[in-house]
Amino acid sequence: MVDFLDELEACVPALRRYARALTRNIDHADDLVQDCLERAISRRGLFRPRGPLRPWLFAILTNLHRNDRRSARRQGAPLSLDAVPDPAVPPPQPGHMALAELARAIETLPLDQKEALLLVTLEGLAYAEAAAILDIPLGTLMSRLGRARAALRGLTGAPAEPHLRTVK
Amino acid sequence: MSMADRDTIMAYLDGELDAEARRAVEADNAAMAEIAALQRQADAIRALYDPAGAEPLPARLSPHRLALLHNRRHRQGLLRVAMVVAVLGIGVAAGWLLRPLPAPASLYEHLIADAVSAHTIYTAENRHAVEVPGSEGEHLSAWLSSKLATELPLPDLSKEGFAFLGGRLLPAPALSGGRAAQLMYEDARGERLTLYLTPAAGVDGPEFELVRLGGDNALYWADARITCTIVGPQPAERLQALAGAIFPQLSPVPASAPAYREL
Repeated sequence: MVDFLDELEACVPALRRYARALTRNIDHADDLVQDCLERAISRRGLFRPRGPLRPWLFAILTNLHRNDRRSARRQGAPLSLDAVPDPAVPPPQPGHMALAELARAIETLPLDQKEALLLVTLEGLAYAEAAAILDIPLGTLMSRLGRARAALRGLTGAPAEPHLRTVK
Repeated sequence: MSMADRDTIMAYLDGELDAEARRAVEADNAAMAEIAALQRQADAIRALYDPAGAEPLPARLSPHRLALLHNRRHRQGLLRVAMVVAVLGIGVAAGWLLRPLPAPASLYEHLIADAVSAHTIYTAENRHAVEVPGSEGEHLSAWLSSKLATELPLPDLSKEGFAFLGGRLLPAPALSGGRAAQLMYEDARGERLTLYLTPAAGVDGPEFELVRLGGDNALYWADARITCTIVGPQPAERLQALAGAIFPQLSPVPASAPAYREL
């Protein structure tokens, strides 16, 4: 029991990071993380899978976020980008893309591409893990990931090389 | 020379390739340039959001605290359930204590009441006490048996000091057959006794019941085939003794043990 809570606690920073990247809103992100933790605590006896906690938590958070978006859309809540505050970002540095520009670009990605991109790039999950979390085949994960990366390069002023589209 | 495809480039970037495949990609300069660009992109994404993971944890995201709150809520939930059960229990108990009295009469109680009514009305008659006189016993038995759709012998109570006067057919609206039979007896002092007989089909009640109604006693008895209510002014013990003589004659299959229990 205590072990479970300690393990949970160790996952909180990663969950916050992922939630922040999904929502770009500190309060909303922490609400999601809190919901996710509460759900994990109340389900630990029944649904907790064997093995590491992390993928399970990411799956819960991903689903909570999808549900939130669905109900927000039903209620007609504004999803405008302008309503979402930008995270505090350091000024662009030479040799780096402008981070604010990147953040806005990520925001324009379809949600399924964004989830795939963040789980692999930000959270460093293996393809198999990420595919399991999103409940999709490996090939679908890679295709979403590829489209997300190409779209970001297009949006941040570094267009994808033509040969990337003509594979082999 | 072929340029590595998009999936291979991504797999290299994301550490999904084995050593041999990695070497093959590293030999491809165009692929490595592409990988470097994607690596910068990934670094930028991490630079953007890593700080969110490094912030101090707000208290509301502490799993230990959340587990504590969860357990408390859980206990309160159990307590609430227990209270609901207790309140329901009180309600049920109150409902039981305040239940309308008397409870609605069941069918056999109607039969006893009807038997007593019929007794009261017809024993008061002199010339018309019975419809068919006791002298036509054989005919009466056959007729009532056919009307009640069950074999109805006429008990002989001469050993008990009662003469058979006769019987009649009566309506019994509460019963499915709608008919009952009354047999009347009289002792040397002119005290009359009636048997009120019905088919037992559909009658759900005890095997025996002794009731006092007004000046008369009624003793109800039923087996699988018929019900019989003995009504008379005699004391309860006398009715019971008479029942001991009547029931074996009504129910031709003799029971090995005494067929009725102590009243």
